[in-house]
Amino acid sequence: MSHDHDHHDHDGHEHHPQEKSENELRAEALEALLAAKGLVSAEAIDAVVSYYEHDVGPQNGARVVARAWVDPAYKARLLADGTAAVKEFGFTGFELNTLVAVENSPAVHNVVVCTLCSCYPWPVLGLPPTWYKSAPYRARVVSEPRAVLREFGLELPAEVELRVWDSTAEVRYLVVPERPAGTEGLSEDELMRLVPRDAMIGTAKAIEPESLAA
Amino acid sequence: MSQLADLDSALAESAPLPRSNGELVFDEPWQGRALGMGVVALERADISLVEFSGFLADAVARHGYDPDEPAATAYYAAWLDALEACLASRGVSGVVG
Repeated sequence: MSHDHDHHDHDGHEHHPQEKSENELRAEALEALLAAKGLVSAEAIDAVVSYYEHDVGPQNGARVVARAWVDPAYKARLLADGTAAVKEFGFTGFELNTLVAVENSPAVHNVVVCTLCSCYPWPVLGLPPTWYKSAPYRARVVSEPRAVLREFGLELPAEVELRVWDSTAEVRYLVVPERPAGTEGLSEDELMRLVPRDAMIGTAKAIEPESLAA
Repeated sequence: MSQLADLDSALAESAPLPRSNGELVFDEPWQGRALGMGVVALERADISLVEFSGFLADAVARHGYDPDEPAATAYYAAWLDALEACLASRGVSGVVG
């Protein structure tokens, strides 16, 4: 299909007080046409654009975790209804019909997978890492999670209960890692830096503050 | 609804979305609209992102490179071309590719 930038005079009348670029006019014309065909609505486009503009990766999730660490009431809301709790930060998404936050503790470690494909809570974690989508991770984290975590450098004591959460299109999971010791004096912004993406998937722990000191 | 992750992976090899430090780049608002209308229209027309990515790669190549044109402007201009061509190929009437 060829397209050679035919220059149509769209409608012939001059009605734009401020100059619009050719691209802008084309985008408007195409949107109007697609809307007339019932293929798009302004509201649907707005929703998509808003999500994509907020695509800032795992720091969204890190902010949620840091808040949960410093604010017990927020943590309670997060664990009760993850979707509503992240919405308090403006993190929403059609993919987050249900976001379930699961909390690590000295006795329990949570890890997230999508055995079927690569469902992932992207409005809070950004793009999934390649390994998350890989067949070996998807299969093995279920069959031999401790071995997989060991390969990530995470050795869990035998007495720690390991819970593997399988994501679906409807339910996505966010791991709330344990807050490292010795971080009582840190601000929320400082705490955010201790929360790497993998800690919110469950293949790592939060970063110890001394290992950040450089 | 298409996930951004799906979009990224579908376009990764042919024509990745313009990003800076991981974040999507839009030089002007129409570019975000173009992305949004594409995502919505492709889904409603039941056209896969992979199929679209072929049209997009062609459009990007045809658009060419102009050092004076910002990268996101060039990309989303090609995106509009690709969307028109892709929908026209499916016989969405009134769309001339």
